[in-house]
Amino acid sequence: MLSPEGFRETYSEADLAEELPNSPIGSLRDLQYLYGKLYTLATTGGGEYAPYLTPDAADDLIDTEDSLIAVRVDVSNDQPRLATDNIGPIQLTRYTDGLVQQVSHCKYSAARGIDHSVTHQAGRNSDPEKLARYAKERLTAWAMDDVVQKVAGAHDDGWIIDQLAELAENEQVLESIEDGVIKSLGGESATALLTVQVRTEPNGEYRWPGEIDVFLEAMRERKLSKLVTKNKANDSSGDATDLVTGRPSRTVGTSEDPQNYYLGKQLEKFPGLDIEEAWRSHPISEDAAVTVMNAEAFVEACTYRTFGTKVYYLPYFFGRISPEKAYNLYGLLYRALSGDEDTTPIEDAYIKRRELDIDEADLRFYVSAVMPHQMSRYDVFGETLNGRLQYPRELAFTHNRLVENISAFNTQNDWTAPLPTNESWDLISTNNQRLHSVSTGWYFYQTFGERDDADADADDPRIEALVSVLGGEPIPVEILLGEYVDRIISEETDDEYDEFPSFLVASQFAQLCALADGDLGLLTTTDPSKEPITREPRYEEHTMDIPDSLATDGGYPAETKLESFIEDTPALTPLSGEESVTSERRGAFLLGALVGDIGSYQEYSEDRSTTLVDQYPVKSITRSRIKKITQETIAKTLTYTRQEKKGGKSYPGTKAEHIVDRLRETILDPDPDEWEIGTDDLRFYYALGITYGMNDHPDWNQTETDQQADLEEDY
Amino acid sequence: MGQESLEQWSNDGDNGESADSTEVPDRCLSITIRGPWGHFRRIEGNIVKQTYRIIPRTTVAGLLAAVMGIERDGYYELFSPGNSAIAIEPVREIRTINMPMNTLSTSAGNLQSLNGRGKISVKLPDPTTLRQQHNYEVLVEPAYRIDVSLANDERYRELRNTLEAGKSHYVPSLGLSEHLAEIEYHGNFEVETDHGGDQTEVNSAVPNAVEDVVLEPGTRCQVEESPAFMRRDAGGRTTAGFTAYTYNPDAGPLTVKNVDPARVDGRTVVFV
Repeated sequence: MLSPEGFRETYSEADLAEELPNSPIGSLRDLQYLYGKLYTLATTGGGEYAPYLTPDAADDLIDTEDSLIAVRVDVSNDQPRLATDNIGPIQLTRYTDGLVQQVSHCKYSAARGIDHSVTHQAGRNSDPEKLARYAKERLTAWAMDDVVQKVAGAHDDGWIIDQLAELAENEQVLESIEDGVIKSLGGESATALLTVQVRTEPNGEYRWPGEIDVFLEAMRERKLSKLVTKNKANDSSGDATDLVTGRPSRTVGTSEDPQNYYLGKQLEKFPGLDIEEAWRSHPISEDAAVTVMNAEAFVEACTYRTFGTKVYYLPYFFGRISPEKAYNLYGLLYRALSGDEDTTPIEDAYIKRRELDIDEADLRFYVSAVMPHQMSRYDVFGETLNGRLQYPRELAFTHNRLVENISAFNTQNDWTAPLPTNESWDLISTNNQRLHSVSTGWYFYQTFGERDDADADADDPRIEALVSVLGGEPIPVEILLGEYVDRIISEETDDEYDEFPSFLVASQFAQLCALADGDLGLLTTTDPSKEPITREPRYEEHTMDIPDSLATDGGYPAETKLESFIEDTPALTPLSGEESVTSERRGAFLLGALVGDIGSYQEYSEDRSTTLVDQYPVKSITRSRIKKITQETIAKTLTYTRQEKKGGKSYPGTKAEHIVDRLRETILDPDPDEWEIGTDDLRFYYALGITYGMNDHPDWNQTETDQQADLEEDY
Repeated sequence: MGQESLEQWSNDGDNGESADSTEVPDRCLSITIRGPWGHFRRIEGNIVKQTYRIIPRTTVAGLLAAVMGIERDGYYELFSPGNSAIAIEPVREIRTINMPMNTLSTSAGNLQSLNGRGKISVKLPDPTTLRQQHNYEVLVEPAYRIDVSLANDERYRELRNTLEAGKSHYVPSLGLSEHLAEIEYHGNFEVETDHGGDQTEVNSAVPNAVEDVVLEPGTRCQVEESPAFMRRDAGGRTTAGFTAYTYNPDAGPLTVKNVDPARVDGRTVVFV
């Protein structure tokens, strides 16, 4: 296959423009056709028969010992006979790069019969007897095949095939071939292509099949015959409009699709449930069908697996493809085919096109997530022709920027972060593998509810979220909250549970913030009360250490921090106007913060094994219980305040007063009995509050972080 | 009354096989069709069930034929290029979900003959067998504003009367019979040609102009190619033409260069 540079050298812009499709990409078939075209140009070159050949099928045989066996036939006299020159009737040689075109192999699925071309590929390490049989079949089976015979009857050089067929009737000749093959192999097994060489002129050269038009024509007809006779159809063809070129042509109904979305045998799609009529509903011209089939190598190169599905990720350029874009596209596909298998096509594309602006919209991807049930039965779970490099890339950048720069996530020795960062947690540390994480779906795997991989459903939200991000479509906030809460609850109820999963919650929140980024706009909702969640938080970038003096002017650092966190989080403080559900959400967050704060105090100062955090797990939080839990938590706070003050500590007001005061305000108005907030919404922000509260302890931070890190390793 | 002469009616007088040329009629009927669900199976798949986002032109023709009560395979000429013009505008954000459905096998072994020895025999899937679950991609609350014109005056009036009366001969549906459609009739409108300069904001999906659409930041722009014309032949029907629609999935306008759009009821549309 040509390298991208070689491709550019071989095909000038003008030449390439001739070969490229004349209409813009409008469907999956258009895209496959373009891939097939590029593949053919890069392997067998242009020309009438190029799309029909499969030059890569025997790729691994190139330049190996004994990889090509030719039966040499002389038809230059009246009587056909085997070669009698000094090479003899059988030539055993190496299949070299230079012979690929000449041998003109056209493979057909091994399970389904002999290859379309006179050249045939034997199985791995076939024994000499088997190879001898295959060698004979070049004459007995191929030359006598119905379709080949029909071509022979119509072609000027058909007599060459007739002569081969005549030779096939001669037992002695067949024995000579058999003896010749076995003898030349010296009893050894071999992996080889078998073909013929024919001399048609006295004193002429023995020519390879690729040099004799009638062989190529017969090969083509054999391949075409399969486009209309698969799956018990006799002749599914007719005159219609080719769905690729839009031109009237003879169209075929049972052609193959590299992605197997289209298989001949699904009757219900066809008029009158008749497979012979398949071409009416899927009219594709013979040439287009064959070109589409040739897309397979590129299509397969642009896939990866995630969540038990196979994800197709096919790059293309929006609109009509120019030669310049075709060179670029070829480069992308070439790299996907020959490159590192661990990277997704989007990462490969990124390597070359990292300078792309988010508004540059012409590089697109066809994306689909396919769940295979059986060979011929599978479902597409998410699909778009409009995947874009920019969205996953920007999401990866935005997430890293948030984690690195934004004060809400910043850790300082003397200034505890509202939310922790942790090197061992992918989503709360900066990571240069983020694009991989986003484009493979691992990004959501870490935060969404856990499922059995083997059983990904049609409505698996992880796949939905993945395809949405790849296509730049917003994800409903409701789905995220539901998934987040599911995951938190399942972590909390896990047998090995011994800590509140605060790093998980922090990860989820970081993800939520990244998706809400204003430029990306990857969050949506149909519920006006959740609309503030879709808005980008305005956390200030952290530029300098916070001086201790902040605390000396009578202010309390924790209070300032809580204040600014709430103010900068639109989900907790809407821009203006109606804020009933937002204040309920803020109430849930503050309750969580108090539970987290007091819970940590219980654990580290009181050495309690069961704390408020354990007492009020996320799944216990409902609208109807909020009031009671708030009362009990505040009561507990007062108990500890009294206890500490008795013990000699002195501070004004109550313990965690900055939270308690705000909590009192929000929980009273409106009364929780009248709250309207959804349960997932309520629970997630309660969990976020716990994470905040537990983490807002500069003195304890060190111990806590270590323990959580240990936990993560088992995770 | 017969057919109005095409010279009067469209830009190019031949009954143009070229599906690309934009036919601008002088009047049209305008309706909105909507429903809770829709599924217009894409032809690239038969074992997978993905849907077109924009209702295909052939489906619109079939739907309107159903309104008028024209039989199967009986309406392709009426809606052929040169005899008809249709503009399609999505009027709600286009959204899909996956809907798993239980289906019966249609493989030969699983088909039962009904009235096998009688004159009329039908083969049906055996309803007692186990179902297989398949995922259908389904449009959620699809809604399209359709502007349609027919060169055949008689049919045009018939369609107008039926729509005005809020009647329909067959039950209209969006792709599959179970996805019922509701039709809202807006009226009979003059069509004005619009030579609005180099760039025009077009409300409808734009046919066959992928490279003339101006890609703008913040405006989503997608493309899909679907069957546009059918032709009757001895064996039934064949697809005679496709259209690649460029559209904004958020149901907003797209800015397009080099098109000859038409003005209908204060909106800018492109007919095909």
